[in-house]
Amino acid sequence: MFWRIFGRELRASRARLALALLVVVSGAAVVSALVNLQLDIDGKLERTFRVFGANVLVTPKNGAASQALMPVSAWDEIAARARSDNRIVGAAPYLYVVARIPAASADAIVAGTDLNRVREMSSWWKLDGRWPSAAAEALVGADVARKLSITPGRRFTVDYGGKQQAFTAAGIITAGGPEDNQIFTGLAPAQQLAGLDGRISLAQLSVAGSATQIRQVMNNLSAALPDANVRPIPEFTTAEAQLAEKIRMLVGATVTLILALTVLGVLASMAALATERRHDVGVMKAIGGPTPRIIRLFLAEVGALALAGTIVGCLLGYPLSSWISERAFGSGVAMQWEVVPLVTALMFGAALAGALPLRLLGRIRPAVILRGEGWSL
Amino acid sequence: MFARIIFESMARNPRRKMLASAVLILATAVAAATLTVALDEGNRLAHEFRSFGANILVTPQADTVPLEIGGLDTRPVSAGSYLREADLGKLKAIFWRNNIEGFTPFLQVPATIETPQATVETTLVGTWYRQAIPVPDGPEFVTGVESTNPWWEVTGAWFSGGAKECVVGRMLADRLDIKPGQTITIRTGATNTALRVTGIISTGGSEDQALVAPLALAQQLAGQPGMYRTLMVTALTKPEDAFGRENPKQMTPVEYERWYCSPYPASIASQVQAALPGSSAKVVRRVAESEGRVLGRVSALFWLITLGAMAAATLAIAAMAAASVVERRSEVALMKALGAPSGLLAWFFLVEQLAVAVAGGALGFGLGTLLARGLGRLVFGVPSTPQPILLPVVLTIAAGVVAAGSLLPLRRMVRLDPAPVLRGE
Repeated sequence: MFWRIFGRELRASRARLALALLVVVSGAAVVSALVNLQLDIDGKLERTFRVFGANVLVTPKNGAASQALMPVSAWDEIAARARSDNRIVGAAPYLYVVARIPAASADAIVAGTDLNRVREMSSWWKLDGRWPSAAAEALVGADVARKLSITPGRRFTVDYGGKQQAFTAAGIITAGGPEDNQIFTGLAPAQQLAGLDGRISLAQLSVAGSATQIRQVMNNLSAALPDANVRPIPEFTTAEAQLAEKIRMLVGATVTLILALTVLGVLASMAALATERRHDVGVMKAIGGPTPRIIRLFLAEVGALALAGTIVGCLLGYPLSSWISERAFGSGVAMQWEVVPLVTALMFGAALAGALPLRLLGRIRPAVILRGEGWSL
Repeated sequence: MFARIIFESMARNPRRKMLASAVLILATAVAAATLTVALDEGNRLAHEFRSFGANILVTPQADTVPLEIGGLDTRPVSAGSYLREADLGKLKAIFWRNNIEGFTPFLQVPATIETPQATVETTLVGTWYRQAIPVPDGPEFVTGVESTNPWWEVTGAWFSGGAKECVVGRMLADRLDIKPGQTITIRTGATNTALRVTGIISTGGSEDQALVAPLALAQQLAGQPGMYRTLMVTALTKPEDAFGRENPKQMTPVEYERWYCSPYPASIASQVQAALPGSSAKVVRRVAESEGRVLGRVSALFWLITLGAMAAATLAIAAMAAASVVERRSEVALMKALGAPSGLLAWFFLVEQLAVAVAGGALGFGLGTLLARGLGRLVFGVPSTPQPILLPVVLTIAAGVVAAGSLLPLRRMVRLDPAPVLRGE
């Protein structure tokens, strides 16, 4: 009997139910999409900020920065960690050598490094020419290139204490920083040139994560490399953490506002539905239906709406959230399962709160409603 | 008559309108707040990005290639050329002067510290901590590392302007066991100078291995009075777009004018270079380019979320409008029975709905502006700028959505046969 009336009722007011369902579905979709995004935003922002490149430096502990060297085993340790720890999104070793360019009779800094790794960590470089692919190819900083009139494809010779080595300038890079004054080569050619086999000057790391996570990675590195100094580049760690925090707060506050609005929208449309049902309720009461049962009937209706709306909304919400993430960060987003219970609770809460005025049903007299007299919610 | 019916209908039953108005006001408030924040957020975040340090670097044009490893110049003071400190005030007189947030000159002098235990080669970095400089036709401008390098941290105190004082890099201080309050002797060339250590500085950069001292002192030690070697400028800029990346030398005069009058990093750098004779100003791409990328992503994210807010607002308003029309079925039927033409009836309800929409929208806009101010203060410490231009936008959206949401049920209603409705069937 209960279910028959329930079924009849659903069929009888299809149009109005469809409208209420549309509100719940879209509300659930928007809320689940935004909450899903919000839960993953830390990771997204941390990765985004890595376009700034290295934020941690590993330098030798002893001696002044410009002359001290570390054994290459320290770099091997870092490289191994970079492979196993996904917080380290990039790392590169550097060996700096002050060499002479005989053709221009001027000095320049040769930075031996792992060029493939550097490429991932220096997204801001403007490259004229191409990236070096062979060991005898180099990247030349824009200022050096201008002073020594080197263009892409030109060969040049560098000299270190009488030992000479020829490179081809595969590309010229403009960075607007110290890189413009350096010549980038592979690590091995620089080591050979300076006779410093198995030595590096420093290593740069790009570590993603919160301030605490970055500190943890640094502590682990410090423990593994007792002879090295592991230090942050504060403008890219502290400043970044503060900025990420602000963006997160901004997004969080906006999402909360949208959440509140959606809840109110669902609540209002359920209240409208309840008002419309007053006639049916009047009739049911007049023919002797017990009040709790009538209320249960309506609650079942609201519950069914909320359930259907939440399921469809969550199903639509995930692709929506993925799309937003794709547009904003260029990568999709993982489904955060916490979203489902949260959205369900919100939608059911709002729907039931909207149906709350029905409690008043117990108090009203059917005659008043059936006569169509002043009864409003 | 028309106006009276509408007025009476609104005044008579305020309670019925309460939930509808609450939804309408909140929805427009959320829309207005998110739009205000979205319009403002680019500027605010661009300001926050200045804590990443200088985005324009100025060096002498005729300079030799600096032999700079890890930020310390290893050239002797005699090599290379210099820029004049006296010209710096001109930076606050360029077209984009208000976008110049700060600048700091640097002059590095190789120095030797002599302590009883050891003799250590290091660098003395001369700079400003907080310097008031005269500006042509304007009030003095206070700047220095305090504003350009906010992450520099000093334990103890900063040196004072022209004094024979310095702060010592943390790593150097650890190595030589130097404490604030101590006096150290440094040798530059053939002269010995006694400096009082006022504090220990920690920058995370090469300065951790060096001495940081007033610029005037470094000039005196280098024998280059009134000169500096590099200048760091922090400027509020607009991320480069396709137009900003074009080569200004190949632009038409009109395009060049537009480029010059846009605060792109490159156009501000070119104005800085023009203001300082003999200088070469470069955009620090690590900061400027990366800032553009991060800002682009965050803005995209924010606009998409704003879109979500608009969707939620639209939906809530439309649902409410539809429900409030349906609720008044019997009124429509009564009026029809009394002989009102369907067209007039539809008009009457539509105008009433629109009046509610405009009133609610205006209230919502006010509330939304307040919300945005609060949000701005919470996140950035500065209230968001109100955007009056959004008022017509929000009102149009509210009215449009209400009209769209009301029209369909209205059409169905005015076509109804009044008799069954009035009989309650």
